[in-house]
Amino acid sequence: MPAKRLAAFTAVAVGLGAAWWLTSTPVLAPEDIPDHQPDAAAGERLFHAGGCRSCHGERLEGGLELSTEYGIFRVPNITPDPVSGIGGWTTLEFVNAMSRGVSPEGQHYYPAFPYASYARMTVTDLLDLKAWLDEFPPVPGPAVRHELRFPWNIRRAVGFWNRLYLDPAPVVGIDPSAPNASQLERGRYLVEAVGHCGECHTPRGFLGGPDSGRWLAGAPNPEGEGRVPNITPHDDGIGAWSEKDLAWYFESGFTPDYDTVGGAMVEVQENLAELGAEDRAAIATYLKSIPALPDAPADG
Amino acid sequence: MKHYRLILGACLTAVLTFPAAAEEAPQEIRHELMESVGDAAEPLGGMLKGEREFDAEVAMESLRTFQQAAAEFGDLFPEGSDTGYDTEARSTIWSDRAGFETALASFGEAVDTAIAAQPQSLDELKPVAGAVFKQCKGCHEDYRIEDD
Repeated sequence: MPAKRLAAFTAVAVGLGAAWWLTSTPVLAPEDIPDHQPDAAAGERLFHAGGCRSCHGERLEGGLELSTEYGIFRVPNITPDPVSGIGGWTTLEFVNAMSRGVSPEGQHYYPAFPYASYARMTVTDLLDLKAWLDEFPPVPGPAVRHELRFPWNIRRAVGFWNRLYLDPAPVVGIDPSAPNASQLERGRYLVEAVGHCGECHTPRGFLGGPDSGRWLAGAPNPEGEGRVPNITPHDDGIGAWSEKDLAWYFESGFTPDYDTVGGAMVEVQENLAELGAEDRAAIATYLKSIPALPDAPADG
Repeated sequence: MKHYRLILGACLTAVLTFPAAAEEAPQEIRHELMESVGDAAEPLGGMLKGEREFDAEVAMESLRTFQQAAAEFGDLFPEGSDTGYDTEARSTIWSDRAGFETALASFGEAVDTAIAAQPQSLDELKPVAGAVFKQCKGCHEDYRIEDD
């Protein structure tokens, strides 16, 4: 029956179309890029705030392996090398890679690259960052591939993850009439966007998406034993830390009881030490202002 | 019966506590020494953080505690003391003894420099105390296990 066949055909086409839509990621267009003279010095501060070299390496040549429950992620070369790195990328390609997780070829990156945090960065900041990255010497190197288990090896499906979790809106609301609103906003920007603190300090739920109801309340260590600490102002977190304690910890690596920073946080802290004192203070102010959450019950 | 129990209890207590009282293990001694260093770091850190008024006397006292500790630490990591008593000492202390000794010496030198400077203001204290704190942190990263 032609009518039945047509209905079946339409159903399949609609289904495929829906699947295509669900797994595609909207990207920025050329007109979304503002007219901006990039400032490499400003880009350098963002580079430290984002801790790019902690994963991409001192020379940005990549190669670091992240062993996770999904498989092994290998960190790519982001030097200006035209073959191995990101040399020759247009501004728009760079912005879409950073803030939408979409490569110049239109492929999805995996969220092990924290583009879902960088989605909250301003485009002008991304342009400044690119200007700083462009000043690095190109380093040729081998192509790197992830080794992921099924179904995580289906790149297309990351688009569905993006539909669920890629949201440039801030996580924590700020009262614009608060006397320290501008400082809170600066801290929020550094924590939620550039510093991508939530990538490790917020637990992950369905499909590895961040559990925004448990924002910065601590999470299992993605690379093995132990836990990433709760950094909300709850007693289980940084409740006993003053803003000065936090700012000095970012600067020096010393906790309020004069123990020193350990583990993966060492590099993060050393990057934070490169920032200006007002930025470290802003991060502290923001962290002391967010909802206080206890550790997850299973954490003991 | 009650007396008997009491005496037995007293004997047991004496037997169990005797070895510890007679001779403290190096793991315990160095732990206490490290605690004293932490206590001495507190007023200095408070000044650097801006939570405490600068006080030249107090600062020097802390630095002298560091100096004393720097002189004592070296002997507190004998062979065989790498485990037990919840020690946070890392095996690198014994596998890289020369590196550990160098790190310890650098700490001592930074402390000596700070004392020789006799800081009379927060601005004078900041660089020299900062150099000392940096030594603490560096040595912890290389020669202490992570506690999480």
